Amino acid sequence: MLLNTFAGLTPGVFYGIIGILLTLMAQLTRTVNFSQMGVGMFGGYVGMTMIQKLKIDMWLAALVGLVIAAVLSGIIGWIIATWLPNAQIATRSAVTVAALLLIVATSSVLFGANHSNFKPLLQNNVAEFNVGDVKLFVSQNFVVLLVLALVILIGSSLLLKRTMFGVRLRAISDRQAAAELIGVNVKVLNVGVWVVSGALISITISFMPASISNDYISFSLLVIAGSAAALVGAFKNPWLALLGGVLIGVLQGFVSALPALAAYKEWVTFILILVFLLWNQRKEVWDVAR
Amino acid sequence: MSLVLNDVTVSRGVGPVISNVTLEVKPGQITTLVGPNGAGKTSLIESIAGVIIPSSGSVVMNDVDITKFSKRKRSRAGLAIVEQGRMIFPSLTVRENLQLTARTKSDFDEAMALFPELEKRMNNNTVLLSGGEQQMVVLARAFASKPKYLLLDEMSLGLAPVVFMRLLPVIEGIAKSGVGVLLVEQFAHLALGIAEDAMVVTSGRVSYHGSPKKLTSDAELMRKSYMGE
Repeated sequence: MLLNTFAGLTPGVFYGIIGILLTLMAQLTRTVNFSQMGVGMFGGYVGMTMIQKLKIDMWLAALVGLVIAAVLSGIIGWIIATWLPNAQIATRSAVTVAALLLIVATSSVLFGANHSNFKPLLQNNVAEFNVGDVKLFVSQNFVVLLVLALVILIGSSLLLKRTMFGVRLRAISDRQAAAELIGVNVKVLNVGVWVVSGALISITISFMPASISNDYISFSLLVIAGSAAALVGAFKNPWLALLGGVLIGVLQGFVSALPALAAYKEWVTFILILVFLLWNQRKEVWDVAR
Repeated sequence: MSLVLNDVTVSRGVGPVISNVTLEVKPGQITTLVGPNGAGKTSLIESIAGVIIPSSGSVVMNDVDITKFSKRKRSRAGLAIVEQGRMIFPSLTVRENLQLTARTKSDFDEAMALFPELEKRMNNNTVLLSGGEQQMVVLARAFASKPKYLLLDEMSLGLAPVVFMRLLPVIEGIAKSGVGVLLVEQFAHLALGIAEDAMVVTSGRVSYHGSPKKLTSDAELMRKSYMGE
């Protein structure tokens, strides 16, 4: 049980990064980006296909995947910034659902129905230790993902608070139309955020733990686990999103160790979403009752 | 050299809200635009700022036709707007709000000098300021961009008259520095008191254009202008 729970840390940090990126995107572009994992998956699959067909180096394939994910994400961002600049968050987010469906359908055509041989760049352990009789492993993926999560969290915080670029991004996040009226290049900044988000999710996917299903539909739907993680931080606090991701990963690991419940480990995400939505609703009910 | 609206018509939804309006804002002068609620004053300002594009007519700034310019391009060309409703950026501090538009430190310092009382609030988030202080930040931010023309839309909205009175001399000072100001206000007497030129808009049309003194001193003329007679 301890082994499984501990092993859940790696996918947990992975979900956490998805949650962090969803949170930052929601704050900076007023969009819940459901296509996020889709663009990363598409880039990754193109890279994997190039490895198989063209026999290119794995790291070069990862770079190609990164560029494709960044460009694809930028295109979705450009569409929203061009045609839906003043739309509600629900409308903007709906566009990303449409983009996700388009990406999955395109992947089905390009990569076939059973393409699921995506491999992480790193597959070894950096340390192992005993707790009682149980031998625990710290994987390279866990270390890289944790460092990546912290770099994104600290880097984005410094960028937003300490640079004029970040001040402009926060101004757009507050009042997009007002920012445009004072001369801020809203469209370029918005698309820039989408491009960086696409690149970051592609890097994250390169270190995806092997325990996560990686056919392109499961892959794309990992955005649900990321959304649950982001929900823990109410799509406002990226640090809590990381914590939420780790919570999901660890709970899934724990449940997978229980033979009677192992088949339902994916339910953890939905239960967590339900709990947080009900928790938020309690205030509404209280207000209405008053 | 001036900001000119030539025969501008603006349509919104069912029909025109501004019909064939022509006006001129000269550098260093305050033009005050008054009129009843729903007369089309905000639509007029928004058509100058590029928020809405006129269905006919043109907007010309210093001999350049800016009718089809984007909002950002108009801002870069020297047009600044203070919209209705205190458009602060709430998550930004006072300093950051001003840094958004100030290109140099001297632009920033000159804007801060308009309201020395903001000095001690420099590092506070603007959402924590009073309504009057927020309006000061918005006005200072607009001035920090070194505009050639400044559009002020209902700055007094939600402010006590005494707070609005604090803003009026600052607006006069901005105009004296060479900026052309178009002031849209509901406190007609206060706004007309600092203007060189006055217009009354009623039902999307100009019902009076001329001396602000004449308008404020003649109650019957004011009434007729507001009624569109």
